[in-house]
Amino acid sequence: MPRDPDPIDPSARLARRRLVGLLAAAICGLGLAACSQLLTTAPEAGDVFDGPVDGLSSAELAAFVEGDAQFGKPFSAAEGLGPIFNNVSCASCHSGDGRGRPENALTRFSLGLDPAHHLGGPQLQDKAIPGAQPETVPSGVDQSRRLPPPVFGMGLIEAIPEADLLANADPADSDGDGISGRPNYVMPPEFMAAHLPVGVPVLGRFSRKAQVSSILEQTVAAYHQDIGITTDFLPVENSNPLASAATEAADRVADPELPAATVHSVVAYLRMLAPPAPGELTATRARGRDVFNAIACASCHVPSFRTGTASIPALSNRDVALYSDLLLHDMGDELADQRPDGQADGREWRTPPLWGLRIMRDFLNGNAFLLHDGRARTLSDAISAHGGEAAAARDAFLALPQSDRDALLDFVGSR
Amino acid sequence: MSRTHVRIAGALALWLLFACTAATRALAQVPDTTAAIDRPFVPGGYDDKPHLTGLFGRIAIGGYVEAHAFTEQVDGATEEAGFLLKRWNLLVSSRVGERIQVWAEVEFEDGGSEIVLELAQMDLELHPAMNVRGGMLLVPIGRFNLAHDGPRNPFTDRPLLATELLGSALSMPGFGLFGRVPLGDAARATYEAYAVNGYHDGLLLDSPDGTRLPLGARNPEDLNASPAWVSRVAWNPGERHEVGLSGYTGAYNVFRTDGLDVDERRTVRVAALDARTTFVGLDWNGEAAAIRVEIPSGLSGLNASRQAGFFVETTRSFGQGWFGGMPEAFLSAGARFEGIDFDRDLAGDSQIQLTAGVNLHPSREAVLKFDYGRSRSRDRFNNAAEGAALKLSLTSYF
Repeated sequence: MPRDPDPIDPSARLARRRLVGLLAAAICGLGLAACSQLLTTAPEAGDVFDGPVDGLSSAELAAFVEGDAQFGKPFSAAEGLGPIFNNVSCASCHSGDGRGRPENALTRFSLGLDPAHHLGGPQLQDKAIPGAQPETVPSGVDQSRRLPPPVFGMGLIEAIPEADLLANADPADSDGDGISGRPNYVMPPEFMAAHLPVGVPVLGRFSRKAQVSSILEQTVAAYHQDIGITTDFLPVENSNPLASAATEAADRVADPELPAATVHSVVAYLRMLAPPAPGELTATRARGRDVFNAIACASCHVPSFRTGTASIPALSNRDVALYSDLLLHDMGDELADQRPDGQADGREWRTPPLWGLRIMRDFLNGNAFLLHDGRARTLSDAISAHGGEAAAARDAFLALPQSDRDALLDFVGSR
Repeated sequence: MSRTHVRIAGALALWLLFACTAATRALAQVPDTTAAIDRPFVPGGYDDKPHLTGLFGRIAIGGYVEAHAFTEQVDGATEEAGFLLKRWNLLVSSRVGERIQVWAEVEFEDGGSEIVLELAQMDLELHPAMNVRGGMLLVPIGRFNLAHDGPRNPFTDRPLLATELLGSALSMPGFGLFGRVPLGDAARATYEAYAVNGYHDGLLLDSPDGTRLPLGARNPEDLNASPAWVSRVAWNPGERHEVGLSGYTGAYNVFRTDGLDVDERRTVRVAALDARTTFVGLDWNGEAAAIRVEIPSGLSGLNASRQAGFFVETTRSFGQGWFGGMPEAFLSAGARFEGIDFDRDLAGDSQIQLTAGVNLHPSREAVLKFDYGRSRSRDRFNNAAEGAALKLSLTSYF
C-alpha cells in the first residue's frame, strides 16, 4: 500500500489542479504523438529470415502464420518429446529461421554406406527425456558434425525446374574446367509413396549433401529424428537400439503424436518463406561481383535460377538469387567428412547457397558460423578452406590484390 | 514404512511437542500486545485485507477484482492486445474460538479460465512466537508471494521473478510453524517454517521451454511422497522496513516407488532475499532469488540447472486533495526494474524490463493504473528482441 500522501495547503489546490490538468494534457498529447515511438518498430521485410514471399493471398498468409506457430512450437515430454531427441522445436535449431550454431550442430554417423540403424544411425540423439537413455557415438563409425542450415527460400528451391539444375551438371568434367558438379539422386523414403513413384530415385535438393528431395521429407524426418515426434508419416518412435528395451516406455504419449495436417502446415510455411533481400549493389560490390565471376566462384555458386510453375502462384516464374547450383562437388581433404549420403561420397558437399549472408550475424548474436560444421568464422576463412574442385578458385582468391579480395568479400557478404 | 514417512512422522511429533510446550506456557502468560506483535503478520498479506467484513456471525468475507486493458509488442509485431478480467478473488476468514483462525482465498483468473484455491489455511494460535499452521499455504519464498493483491501492487503486472521463475501466486499444501518475536516497541522478527508437497517434475516434463518451476507448482497430492522444506525469516525494524531471507529445498521427481529406487533423487533449491524500506521520500521494494535444479543427464545442456532473477521498484504517493469530487483520492508514481535469467549457463535465455507507472487512487482500496514498459529479451541464441507494453488496469478490494 502506498504511503500516506502529504496533505496539501488548501490555498494552493486550485493552482495545483491547473498544473495537473496542463501536465496531463501535455503527457496525453505527447503520448499520442509519439505512440509509434513508444512501441517497438519492426525490421524491414527484407531484413529477416522468417518473412513470407511477396504476392501471397490472404488465405496463404493465414496458413503461413499457422505454420509459423507450429515451426516455433516447443514440445515437452508430456506432449511427446523424445524418448531420444536433439532439440525441442524446429526453431530451437534454426535461429530466426536461419542457420544454427556449433552448440546445436547434429552428429550424423554411419558405417560406410550403411546408415547403421542397428547402432542408432544415421543421427546421434544425445538428449533423452527422464527414463530414457540418450545415445552416444558408437566406436568405429564414420561421423560428421553438421550445422542446421537456413530454412528460408525452400519453396523457391523446390520450384526450380530439374532440367535447369541438371544443365549445370558435368559429372565427368567434360568441359575440362576442373569442376564436375553432379546431382545426388536419392531414393525417397516409404512415407513419400503417396507423393512420389515408388522405387524411383529423385533429385536431392536439400540438406548438406542434397540427400533430401522434398520439404515434406525433410520436415517429417526432422520431427522424427531431431525432436522425437512421431507423425502419421512415421508413427513409430525413434529409439536408442543400444539401450534397454524397457526404457522406450518413457515416452507415454500415444503415437502418432502429430497429425499429417500439422506436418503439412509446417511444410507450407517453409515453402512460403522468402529469402532476405540482398544489399545494395554499390560500385565496390559490383567490382566484387566481377571478380567473383572472373575467378570462377560462379561456376558452382550459380547466381540465379528462375522457378517454373509452382503449386503456390507467388512462387512461380520468379528469379531466385541463390548463388548455388545445388549440385555435389568434391571439396577436398580439409572439408571431407568421409561419410557418404545417398550418392554423395565422403568428399562431396552440395554447394551452399550464399543468400542471406548479409544478415546472418543479426541472428547469431553477431557471430558467423560458416561451412557445414560452422568451423569458419569469416568468409575469408570459409573460402580458404575450399579444396578439391574449388582449389583453383580458392588459390585465385588468395592471389587477388587486397582491394579485389575485399571487394569480393563485400559482394558475397551483401547477398 | 519408508524412511521418508519416518522423517515426516518424526517432524510432526517434534512440532506437536513444541506446540504443546508453547501452548502450556502461553496459557499461563498475559498475551503480548506490543505494536510489533499487533501489526499484520505480512503487511499486505493474508491478515491485512481492508475490506473483510463480517457476514454470518464469525465469518468475514471480501475480495478484490483486477481488470486489465493492454497492448504488447515485440519487434514491431503485436503479440497481445485486448481486455482481460485478470483476477476476481474471494477472501474469507473466520475466527473459530479464541485461538483458531481459518483463512481462505479462491482465485478466478483470466476471466475464469483458471480457478484456484490459492489459500486455505488453519492457524492454531498458541503464542505469538509459535503457532501451528496447516492447509493450502502461500509458500514463503520471498515476500511478494505472500503479499501480491492487485490493489497493493503498484504496477499492473506482477514481477517477472514471481510469475516466470517462482510461479507466484505459489501455494502448496503443507504444515508447519510461524511466529513473531518482538525486538523492542516497533521492531520484531517473524518466521515461517513449513513442510510442503513441493514442486513436481512438471517443471521439466510439462515445460517445452526448458526448466520452468511454475509448471511444477501445482502438487495437491505429493507425487513423490517426499516433503519439501521452506522457510522465511524476516526482520522488521519498523512498520515500513523489512528484510527477509527465504530458503526452499525438496525433491521434485518420483525417485522411489513401491520400495524400489526408480530414479535418482533430484532436488530444487531456492534462496531468496527481499527487502522494503522508505528512503529519500520514496518507498522501495525489492527481491532477488537464485534457483538450482538438478537435471537428469539426458536433458543437460537443454534444461537449465541454474536460474536467477530480481526486481527493484520504487513508488511515491502525492496529490491528495487535488481532485475536488474525490477528497480521498491521490496519485502515485513509480518505476520497476527487473531481470530474469532462465539459464545462467547460457549467455541468452533472459529478459530485462523497465516499467514506469502512474496510478490514480480514488480511495485507499482502489487503483486505476497506467503502465508503460520496455523490455529486452534474449533467446537461447542470445539474439535480442525489443518489447514494449502499454497497460491500463483497474483494481479494487471489495
